[in-house]
Amino acid sequence: MIEDRKFICASCTIGCELRVTLNSGEIVRVAGNACPRGETYARSEIKDPRRLFASTVRVTGGRLPVCPIRTKTPAPKEKIFDIAKEVAKLKIKAPVKIGQVLIHNVCGTDVDIVASRDLASA
Amino acid sequence: MADKKIDVLIIGAGPAGVAAGIGAKREGAENVVVIERDWDLGGILQQCIDPGFGLRTFREELSGPEYMHRFIKQAHEAGVEFRPNTMVFQIDKDTNAVWTMNKERGIECLNPSAIVLAMGCRERPIGAIRIPGTRPAGIYTAGTAQRFISMEGYMPGKRAVILGSGDIGLGVARRMILEGAEVEGVYEVMTWPGGLRKNISYCLNDYGIPLHLQTTVTKIHGTDRLEGVTVAKVDDHMTPIKGTERFVQCDTLLLAIGLVPENELSRMAGIEIHKVTNGPVVNDLFQTSNPAVFAAGNVVIVYDLVDNVTDQGLITGSNAAKYALGKIPSNVKKIPVKAGDNVRLFTPQYITGESDTIIYMRVTHPIEGACKITAEPGLFSRRLKYSRPGEMDEVRIKAEQVRALGDNLKEIVIDIKPL
Repeated sequence: MIEDRKFICASCTIGCELRVTLNSGEIVRVAGNACPRGETYARSEIKDPRRLFASTVRVTGGRLPVCPIRTKTPAPKEKIFDIAKEVAKLKIKAPVKIGQVLIHNVCGTDVDIVASRDLASA
Repeated sequence: MADKKIDVLIIGAGPAGVAAGIGAKREGAENVVVIERDWDLGGILQQCIDPGFGLRTFREELSGPEYMHRFIKQAHEAGVEFRPNTMVFQIDKDTNAVWTMNKERGIECLNPSAIVLAMGCRERPIGAIRIPGTRPAGIYTAGTAQRFISMEGYMPGKRAVILGSGDIGLGVARRMILEGAEVEGVYEVMTWPGGLRKNISYCLNDYGIPLHLQTTVTKIHGTDRLEGVTVAKVDDHMTPIKGTERFVQCDTLLLAIGLVPENELSRMAGIEIHKVTNGPVVNDLFQTSNPAVFAAGNVVIVYDLVDNVTDQGLITGSNAAKYALGKIPSNVKKIPVKAGDNVRLFTPQYITGESDTIIYMRVTHPIEGACKITAEPGLFSRRLKYSRPGEMDEVRIKAEQVRALGDNLKEIVIDIKPL
């Protein structure tokens, strides 16, 4: 089965409109890219699309009521909302240290959730 | 007061001010003080929690707080003194005295040898675009919404319309979705999106949020809480087109309609402000019309990347320190830079030839295709694949080029022309 997919390349700021042709899920053609990085991006975006995710978690006893968090490394795109729900359940106590791991292997993705700022106690 | 004489006083502990502090210490200034009105350091980056900062500087994507953490640490190690919870409320025109206010220290009058303005920029509010209709609750600037969500733990609403497609508008659209709200759409009055294409992909396309170009909000509805907005297509003169109006139900309208350098203090200090950039007129040393006052970062011109702000902050801090130490001559050259074809704004406005410099500029409209950026007479020429208003272009000029031309160099003209 032949399928066409269109998306914007995020390798640099140019933002080429990539057109990827798939045959039974296999990439047969990448078009629209101005440089070879576009092809690499298209392949990763089709095979294993990943995104960095950020949000906040509730903090008790801190200078602020919430602390920003992020995935340490990019997580599978289709798991982002699962991760968001998991993170929303979390409550932590101040003080928080930047880089502190808050959830190991979130949603079985092998990706850690870390605090992205220092937050002192109130 | 038994306080030591301050060599360089910096106003604002955002990315520009922190970098200026580091730059001033590196240059050998002894007593470098940064005044910050917030209780914490880092400025607006404290609320920019999505990774994407520092790619040029660190080759990795950091969140705003992570990016600032690295520079604040460097500044502490360099011996920069920070005074948080302190507000500068006046700068005296003739004496350059800086008046500060703080709960513990009270009111103080400081007399530094050099001042660096690093107050950053502010969002244009709803009053700047005069949308007809009512003024119910539920209308915020995108940055305010970002602060509510990412620092204060509140959601501004459940169903949002976003006006403006710059990177802040795109980012807040994604933030609303990830925190469980709906985003009906992003509306942009121009024919081109303001933000990077990468951000359109990651913030809008990933979540199926539509981007409506050449469309704007023409009316606000609701009495206590926002009930909806009317949107309409606009023509080439940005006038709404009759018959294209559509009612959109929403409880939140987020405005991402541009940033303006924050220069109340600069004006008070009698510093010349540029009509187009809304920032101080500066030379390539980032010296303003008052030679003891320098300006760094978004207070001068709104940059694309925090990396640019940090770079410029380091240089400005170092120049302010040189001034404080008497190493900048009072008779520096003042060669004007002029905007030629397709250049909307740029900084700096004057070149001294004292140091190598980068002139940052924005085009008036997108040029999709090969173009050439030049600085005449014969100082710089480079081919670009494209030029877009949302991405600054750079001209690099070496001090020796300026010196070589000597008194023959009366002005520098910068152009961006399609090929």
